[in-house]
Amino acid sequence: MNWRGYVRERLPPLDIPGAREAEIVEELALQLEGAFDRARRFGATDAEALAAAAAEVPDWQVLAHALVQAERPVAARLPSAVRLSADPPAPGATRGAVVQDLLQDIRYAVRSFLRAPRFTVPAVLALALGVGATSAIFSVVRGVMLEPLPYANADRIVGVWESNVERNRPRNVIGPANFLAWTERNRSFAHLAMIGPARLSLMLGDRPEEVSGFMASSGIFPVLGVVPSQGRAYSPREDALGQHEVLVVSHEFWQTRLGGRPDVVDTTIVANGVPRTVVGIMPPGFTILGQKADFLTPYGWTIEQLRSAPGRGSSIGMARLRDGVTLEQASSEMRTIAAELEREAPQRNTGWSVTLVPVHEQMVEEVRPALLVLSGAVGLVLLIACVNVANLLLARSAVRERELGVRVALGARRGRLVRQMLSESLVLGAAGGAAGLVLAYAFHRGLLVLVADRIPVPRLDQVALDLPVLGFTLALALGTGVLFGFVPAILASHTSIGALRDGGRHGGSPRARHTLGALVVVEVALSLILLTGAGLLLTSFVKLQNVDPGFRAEGLLTARVQLPGARYDQAAAAAFYPGVLERVAALPGVQSAAGVTFLPMSGPGIGTSFHRLDQPEPSDGDAPSTQVRPVTPGFFRTMGIPQVRGRDFDSRDVAGAPSVAIVSATLARLHFPGEDPLGRRLAVAIGDGGDPGFEIVGVVGDIKMSALDVDEALAVYLPHAQLPFGVMTLVARTALDPLSLATSVAGAVQSLDPELPLADVRTMEGVVEATLARPRVVAVLLSAFAALALLLAGVGVYGVMAYSVAQRTQELGVRMALGATPASVFRLVLGQSLRLVLSGVAVGLMVAAGLTRLLESLLYDTAALDPRTFGATALLLVLTSLLASYVPARRGTRIAPVEALRAE
Amino acid sequence: MLHIYMAATDTTSLQKGSAELVLLAVLDGPPRHGYELAQLIETRSDGRLRFQAATLYPLLYKLERRGLVVGKWVEKSGERRRRFYRLTPAGKAMLRERRKLWREFLEALDQVAAVRQA
Repeated sequence: MNWRGYVRERLPPLDIPGAREAEIVEELALQLEGAFDRARRFGATDAEALAAAAAEVPDWQVLAHALVQAERPVAARLPSAVRLSADPPAPGATRGAVVQDLLQDIRYAVRSFLRAPRFTVPAVLALALGVGATSAIFSVVRGVMLEPLPYANADRIVGVWESNVERNRPRNVIGPANFLAWTERNRSFAHLAMIGPARLSLMLGDRPEEVSGFMASSGIFPVLGVVPSQGRAYSPREDALGQHEVLVVSHEFWQTRLGGRPDVVDTTIVANGVPRTVVGIMPPGFTILGQKADFLTPYGWTIEQLRSAPGRGSSIGMARLRDGVTLEQASSEMRTIAAELEREAPQRNTGWSVTLVPVHEQMVEEVRPALLVLSGAVGLVLLIACVNVANLLLARSAVRERELGVRVALGARRGRLVRQMLSESLVLGAAGGAAGLVLAYAFHRGLLVLVADRIPVPRLDQVALDLPVLGFTLALALGTGVLFGFVPAILASHTSIGALRDGGRHGGSPRARHTLGALVVVEVALSLILLTGAGLLLTSFVKLQNVDPGFRAEGLLTARVQLPGARYDQAAAAAFYPGVLERVAALPGVQSAAGVTFLPMSGPGIGTSFHRLDQPEPSDGDAPSTQVRPVTPGFFRTMGIPQVRGRDFDSRDVAGAPSVAIVSATLARLHFPGEDPLGRRLAVAIGDGGDPGFEIVGVVGDIKMSALDVDEALAVYLPHAQLPFGVMTLVARTALDPLSLATSVAGAVQSLDPELPLADVRTMEGVVEATLARPRVVAVLLSAFAALALLLAGVGVYGVMAYSVAQRTQELGVRMALGATPASVFRLVLGQSLRLVLSGVAVGLMVAAGLTRLLESLLYDTAALDPRTFGATALLLVLTSLLASYVPARRGTRIAPVEALRAE
Repeated sequence: MLHIYMAATDTTSLQKGSAELVLLAVLDGPPRHGYELAQLIETRSDGRLRFQAATLYPLLYKLERRGLVVGKWVEKSGERRRRFYRLTPAGKAMLRERRKLWREFLEALDQVAAVRQA
C-alpha cells in the first residue's frame, strides 16, 4: 500500500512551502502505516486494518486547517504592525517558493482530475476533438488557400480567359488567333503565355506509357518567374513549327522515369513517335496552377496557323502584369482589345470579351466553397467543445464550492485559490491539447486519405499538419479553460463562506445555474446548425447519387488510346480504330465494344454551336450550342443508351459518304417540336465538313455529359469515321469484372501498334463515382462533424442535468417526502431539460435558416431551407438530449427522502 | 498563586492545555518519533488516552514552531527514515511549569469537587 499516495490524495493543498508539505505527508503516512500494521498484528483483516488507519484522520479538511494553523510562523499570528517590521523574503527564496507552489498546484490538479474521471474524460475528450478536428481542417485551408504560391511575385500573375456573358461562360478557353492578337496589342503585360493540357506517349524501355503535362508557349517561364534548375527554358524561337521538338521535364519525371541521370539534358526521348530533346529540368515540386506537370513543350505552330485557327481550343492564357499596372487597368485594356477583335472578326468573337483572374483565386475558387463550409463547421465543433468544457468546469466548480469555502475559512488567500483553479484549467487544457495533437495527426492523415486522388485539390500533397494552426487552436482551448476556470474561481472565492454555512447543499448559486442553462442552449443551438448543414448535404448527396446518368455504368471498362499525330494523320486514325475495336470485341468475355472521342463524365469535351439548316442562320453569337461527340457504331448499345428513333451508325457512314448525325431526345424535342427530326439537316460548327449539313438518322436517350448535377441534354453524335480524332476512349461491355479485361485490351491495342499506351483504364462506374467525390467528401466530413457536435451536445446536456439533479437532491427529496411520485419527479427533471433543449433548438433553427444559404452552391436539387431536413435534425437533437437526460432523471427518482433530508 | 477563569461551558482551553502537557510529558526522555509518541500515550494511560494523527501532528508542529520541541530526520540502516523529536531546554522548562500548574489545579479541583474521592 502506498501510504504517501493515500495521504496526498486526501490532504488538500496546505498553502505552505512544498518541501515542508512533503515532510508532513511523509510523517502522516508513517503514522497511518503504523496504525494499519498494528491492527493487522492484532488479527484484523485488511479492510478492518484500513479502517483503523483511516480513523487516524476523521476529517482531512479539519486536519489541513489545523496543520496550516500550526505551521503558520509565530510572527504571522502577531498584529500586522509587528509583522511589517519583519525582513522581506529574499527574492530567490520567493521565486523558488512560487515554483514549488505551482508544482504543488499542478500535482493537486492532476490528482483531483484523476479522482473525477466522469468530469475529466468528457472534458479532455471534448477539447481534444475540437482541437484535433480544427487543426486538421485549418491545415488544409491554410495550405491550399492561404499559403503563397511558389512563384516569384505570384500576386502579379493572372489567368487570361475569354468570357461570354450571354452564354454564361464567364471563363472560357481561349482562341489561338485571339491570343496572337493580344500578344501583339497589349501594353499591360510584361509577359503573356498560352498553356493547355497535353499528353505524350513515351517509349521508356520497351513499354509505352502516357504522361501528362502542358503545351505552353515559351512565355510561361517569365510569366511564372520560374526557370529550370538544370539546363534551360525553351525560347520564343522554339515556339515555332520545326523548332519545337524540345521538352522541359519536371524534377520528379527526371527522377522516376529517366532514372535521375545527370547527363539527361540535351539527350532525346521519343515522344508521340517523334524524337524530342530534353533541354531543361524544372526545380522540385514545380506545379502549374497546383497541378503536377511532367513536361512542358511548345505548341509548334506557325504564326499563320495561329492567325487562322478557327475556334477555341483547350488552352488558357497566363500573364504577368507589367510593373505599375493594376489588375483593373489591365482588365480594361484587354476588354478594349476584345471589343476591337469583336469588330474585326465578328463570326468568331461576337459576344466575347476577356476576363483576368488573379492566379491564386483561379486555383482555389473551385474548392473554396467546400473549404469555407468545412472551416465553418469545424469552427463550430471547436466552439461547441469549448462550451462543453465551460459547462463541465462551471458545474464542477459549483460542486466544489464547499471545498473552496473550507479552504478560504482555513485562511487560503483568494489569489491563491484563483491560482489553484487556473492551474487546474491549464492542466486540463494541456491534457486536452496533447490528446488533440494525437487526434489532429490522425484526422489529418484520414483527411488526406479521404481526399487524395478523389478530388483535385490544388497543392494538397504539400499540406502538412500546421503547427501555427495547432498552436492557435490549443491556445483557444486553453483560453476557454482558463476563462471558465477563472470566473467560477472568483465567484466561488467570494461566496464560499456562505457555501460553507449552508453545508454546501444548496450550492449552485442561481447565477451559476442560469449560466449553465444558457450554455446548454448555446450548445444545442450550435449543434443544430451543424446538423442541419450536414443533413442538407446528405439529402443532396443521396439525390445526386440517384440521378440517372442515362446509360448503364455497370459492367463497362473504359480506356483511352491516343495516336501520335506524327505517325497518324486523320485517314490513318480513322482506319486504325475499327481494327482495334474488332479485336477488343473478339476478346473472351467482351459482349460489345465501341469508341468515343471524349468519354462522358470524364473531363473536357467538345461544345460548339449548331442550327437547323432549314431555318435561317442565327446572327453571330446567337446560335445555340450543343455537346458534340464523335462515336463509333455500337456505342449506344455498348453504353446502354436507348435508341429512341431511327438507326445507329454503321459501315455506311464513312468518310466521303453523306454526313450523318444522331441527336439526343431533348435536342429533338426542343428544336423539332412536333416534327419528325429524321431526315432533317443540322449545321454544326465543327471540322470542315457538314456543308450540306449533317442528316439526322437517329435519336437516342439523353445522358449526363459532364457530371450528374449538370443538365446538358443537348447532344449531337457524329460518326467517328467521318470526324476522326487522334484520341479515343474505348468502352467494352462485359459480364466479368471489367478491370480483369485491362491487360487483354492493352494487348489487343499493342498487337496493332506496340508503341501505343493504354491510359486511364477505369470502369465506367469509377468514372461516374469520381464525379461524386467532392460532394461525397464534403458530405462525409460535415456529417462526421455533425455527429461530433451531437455527441458533445449530448454530453453537455447530460453533464448539466446530472449536476442539476445533484444540486436539487434535497428539493427532490422533500417533494418525494410530501408525496411526489417517482414519475412526477422524472417528468420534472425531463421537463427542465426539455425546456433548455427546445430553447436551443429554436435559436438554432433561426440561425441555421440564416446560414444554410451559404451551402447553396454545394446543394443539388435541395432547398437551403428544406423543411424536412430541418424538422428531422431538430427531432434528432431533441431525442438525443432526452436520452442524455434520462440517466440523471432516473437518478432523481431514486433519491430516498430520508437521505435527502439528512443532507440538510 | 493560580488563577483559573473558566466559563461555565468552555472546556476547550482545558482540553488543549492538557493535550500539550501530555505531549510534553511523553517527550521528556530519549528522542522518539511520532508513532512511538502516540503508542506511549496509549500505553501509559492504559488505552484511555488516544492521540490520533489528526491531533498529534498539528500539536507537535505547533510546539516545534514555538521552539519547545525539536525534530530531526534519522535514517537507521534497513529502516525508513523517521523524524525523532525531543524537548529543547525551553520545552523542559515549559513542562516543569505546566506540571506545577496542573498539580495546583488538580489539588484545587479536588478540594472543591472531591474528584479524587477514595
